[in-house]
Amino acid sequence: MADKLKHKPTGDRQLILATLHGDNSAFGTIVERHWNMVIALALSKIDEPAEAEDIAQESFLKAYSHLHNLQNPTRFAGWLSKIVIQQCSNKIRRSVRCKTALGCNSMPLEDLDIKYTKTTNPGLSQSQIYFIRKAVRQLPEKFRRLIIMRFVAGLSAGQIAEQISKRPGTVRVWLHLAYKILRKDLAPLLERSENEQM
Amino acid sequence: MSKCKKFKDLIEQYLDGTISDSQFTELEEHTKTCESCREEFEQSVLLQKTIKHAFSSTISSEEARASVITKLPEKENHQIRNAGYRSTWLGGKRAAVAAGILLAVGLLSGFVLGRKNIAESTRVQLAAKVPMQLADLEGTVLVKHKGSDTWQTLTPDSSVHIGDTFHSAAKSFFVLKLENDSTIEVDQNSMLALTFYNGQTQFILEHGKCKAALKSPHGRFFISTPHGRVEALGTEFTVTVE
Repeated sequence: MADKLKHKPTGDRQLILATLHGDNSAFGTIVERHWNMVIALALSKIDEPAEAEDIAQESFLKAYSHLHNLQNPTRFAGWLSKIVIQQCSNKIRRSVRCKTALGCNSMPLEDLDIKYTKTTNPGLSQSQIYFIRKAVRQLPEKFRRLIIMRFVAGLSAGQIAEQISKRPGTVRVWLHLAYKILRKDLAPLLERSENEQM
Repeated sequence: MSKCKKFKDLIEQYLDGTISDSQFTELEEHTKTCESCREEFEQSVLLQKTIKHAFSSTISSEEARASVITKLPEKENHQIRNAGYRSTWLGGKRAAVAAGILLAVGLLSGFVLGRKNIAESTRVQLAAKVPMQLADLEGTVLVKHKGSDTWQTLTPDSSVHIGDTFHSAAKSFFVLKLENDSTIEVDQNSMLALTFYNGQTQFILEHGKCKAALKSPHGRFFISTPHGRVEALGTEFTVTVE
């Protein structure tokens, strides 16, 4: 099915202005609208789901307190995505520092898949989810953000270009390179699932 | 092959989210007869779906909304800067009028509040009610709502709110009943706080003793203490904080 565009930039703009005028429930609607994108962006950089959820919430709080700095409210999603990526990088930097410090019980990467004990997706097994997340995590940063905005937030290539202030042609080229990498990396999964369907 | 080129392009457009409804129907029709295009199209649909699913969260957007709202600062003093978009939404004059009205309302409410008795003026807006109720109560139990400094006596008909802190006096206890009929019984001389974290109500036992009786099956259930978090593995457990 063609993705219906749930995203309404004009709606964002009004909600932001309402928030700036003290209406916190308007900000609640913003959270509801962008939660999927924000949590996905966090999960595309952070292994631990609980940590990613914390970062997602912190990102919204940061966006709230810096909302008056947003120059163009129709580009809220792009601005918010930058905040999330920044929060994740800060977190990673902190944990790298933590790893070198004594008494830190950071988990080695190989053990992480055991942690995925719960899922909301009955269609995918835990190992499949881990496999997909890993493939997306390995994408170059600029592709990763586009893939999440495209497939999770449901923005079209043109809307993404508007959000991140890039030319639509550039976004399309990057997206296609990303599809190519993902098709190759996820080939075992895509093919296997297809056989299962038949 | 040249005919398929058109459909391969449509598949890319589908992935980009730029395909029109009529083009989509055309593509679907074509894939019924062309195996190579069908395979590529199905893989593209699957690619999109699996990524969307793999990056979904156990926290729904409604839960995230509730959780973030409770963490917003009480009164954020948002300065509306002279950004270009302001004038298009609210003319400068209208903004000034609105600010004037707000100021007048603020002054008036300050005046009215000032004249009311202290108990009422310290009344704060209660955080969202939680799907939980008081099931039993004996002796003296005090409750303090979020943002308030005053302790009030809990009565059997009191409702429970996020941000509440309960304090049971000697020879007193109370029982909270959760949505799924699970109960948390808080013993005498105990203090329990309810906060909202990650889309869930969090129970924090500051000191004292509480007993949880959970109806199974239940999701992950924790009671936090100053010394760490205790997770319920069975249906009944007791937590004591000295």
